[in-house]
Amino acid sequence: MALAEHAAGMKLRQFLPRLSVGIWSLSGFTFLWVIGIVVPLLGILLFSFLQTKGIKVQWDLTIKAYEKLFFYGGGPLIGRTIRIAATMTVIELLLAFPFALWLAKGAKNQNLKLITFTLLTVPFFLSPVARVIVWRSVMSVHGLVNTALLDIGLVSEPVEWLIFSEFAVHLGYLGQYFPAMVWPIFLSVALIDDEYLEASKDLGASRLRTLVHVIFPLALPGIVAGIIFTFVPMLGDTVVPQQMGGGNVMMISHNVYTMIGASNFVMAAALSAIILAIMLAFQVLLWAALRPVGGLNNVFASLRR
Amino acid sequence: MAVINASGSASVSDAVRVAGGEQILEVVNATHRYGEVTALDHVSITARRGEFLTLLGESGSGKTTLLRIIAGLERPSAINRITIDGTDATLLPANKRNTTTVFQHYALFPHMSVGENIEYGLRVRGMPKPERRQRAEKVLELIRLPGLYERRVHQLSGGQKQRIALARALVTEPAILLLDEPLGALDEKLRIDMQVELKELHERLGLTFIYVTHSQEEALTMSDRILLMRHGRVVQEGPPTDLFERPVARFVAEFMNVENLLDGTIERASGAEATVRIGSHLLRGPWTGRGAAMPGTKACVAVRAERIQLGPAPSHDAQSINHLPCRPGVTIYKGKYVDQMLGTEIGPVKARVWDRSMEISTATAFWWRANDCAIMPVESE
Repeated sequence: MALAEHAAGMKLRQFLPRLSVGIWSLSGFTFLWVIGIVVPLLGILLFSFLQTKGIKVQWDLTIKAYEKLFFYGGGPLIGRTIRIAATMTVIELLLAFPFALWLAKGAKNQNLKLITFTLLTVPFFLSPVARVIVWRSVMSVHGLVNTALLDIGLVSEPVEWLIFSEFAVHLGYLGQYFPAMVWPIFLSVALIDDEYLEASKDLGASRLRTLVHVIFPLALPGIVAGIIFTFVPMLGDTVVPQQMGGGNVMMISHNVYTMIGASNFVMAAALSAIILAIMLAFQVLLWAALRPVGGLNNVFASLRR
Repeated sequence: MAVINASGSASVSDAVRVAGGEQILEVVNATHRYGEVTALDHVSITARRGEFLTLLGESGSGKTTLLRIIAGLERPSAINRITIDGTDATLLPANKRNTTTVFQHYALFPHMSVGENIEYGLRVRGMPKPERRQRAEKVLELIRLPGLYERRVHQLSGGQKQRIALARALVTEPAILLLDEPLGALDEKLRIDMQVELKELHERLGLTFIYVTHSQEEALTMSDRILLMRHGRVVQEGPPTDLFERPVARFVAEFMNVENLLDGTIERASGAEATVRIGSHLLRGPWTGRGAAMPGTKACVAVRAERIQLGPAPSHDAQSINHLPCRPGVTIYKGKYVDQMLGTEIGPVKARVWDRSMEISTATAFWWRANDCAIMPVESE
């Protein structure tokens, strides 16, 4: 028995040094990832099942925070958050797909392409507050749009729902997350060899059929990535609901912010846990949606050429 | 598939083929420019039904451009007319033309199985699934890869991919099959096997093949007729024997791998015969250039290494023999034969010796029959 253990130990020792640098750094990253991301998340989850008295934490597990959340209109809050994020993800996809297609395959002018690329990076280097705030001067009661509408005589009174409304929140998300949808789709479309498009045409397919049977499936990895990179960050965005909703449009992430401001950490944790749950549900949905085409693995397998 | 159904129809189609056949393709006066570069320069070609026509040339000769214009994948800068199987296709897009292409890198859709790839052309024509599958399985048998229907594209070997690409193009029963260097990516042994297989497939289906290649060997093996292209023009056209035996210009002889190209000036010309002066030597041979041979113009004597005999020339029949003194140079062992380099007064000459027992390093003279060489102009036009 002891001998067997010894032998196993020997084997392990022989085996360990043989692991390549790659494996070591990979496990290093995994370790950092667990420390940096997973532990805080678990902390939030745990915290949401606790209660505080003053500044003292009571270490008895309870679902009081959740009860309170749903009693004070948590349901509609969650519903609205999901609805707005989902609507905007669909709209972004519908706008970004043809745009990415044009950028990857249609645009022949190199300068135009370069300018477009530069413009697409704007959301990544300019503060979201700075960009969103511009909308306020355009859409407010005395803003550009209303002034123009009044001048033309299309309306007799300023249109008020242009700002601090659900419409305004949608609009705010639009520009913010457009590049996040365009980039991955652009990359996956650009990777499609022109020879596939020619082969499709040569075999008798119309443009529409080539789009449906060749371009779309080969661009699916980018589409999936685009959906993830717009829907998920939208759930966590605090700037747009605050600046464009102006307190009229309550969304979860903004509420987390407010709760932390009010030192109600348990409620903030519970709201964050809800976002986590939505994300998990979203993953399950995505997994189910991709099953007919052979699952996520198969989708990315099409990138193997 | 052009399956021969009744016993009588086979002989009829053979008769048509022998008689020159009806025309299935006509390209009239096609020109194509990429910016400043003229890829195709006023080219007109025709193909008969059931013909194996090869477009031969180096890269940049315009052969692939011409193929793409026939497929409809490239819109020519200027053209009078393209007719495919009796239909004016000049303005038709690729998806409306009765042709399919086997692409150089196969272009098999990576997200589809082998079966889905083959059925693609039928699917976009709205054929129901069971019928599609049946046709796909049949074509898979035709190319001798039954049972690969469910396979993923990335699991295939190079040779299998090549055949699946062929199957995908054949399944829609096009009037003309276009092949763009289809064997280019295969290793040598596979390439030679596939040459035979393509040739057999062509015979069996009676389909018109238009085949693009840069390999003179492939062209000679498979074609009924070859169009040799250079700088966007057709330099010579004819059956393989014509290009091999009777090159119309030095370039053709060079492209067809004639080892010895001896440049000189025409001394005398009489009908089909010409005499070329190189230094102090006079060489005779048949004139294969397009027009008549003009004394005083530059010409080239092309003679293949295997037609050269070592040793003193036979004394009889001196009129029909070219002979020269030489000193032996390097001997290159090639396995089946030996290439002997010879130093001569008109430059180096390569002789091919098949007889291994022969003492070659002592040769002081060599000769060849006048009819075994060809004399042609140095310039193409």
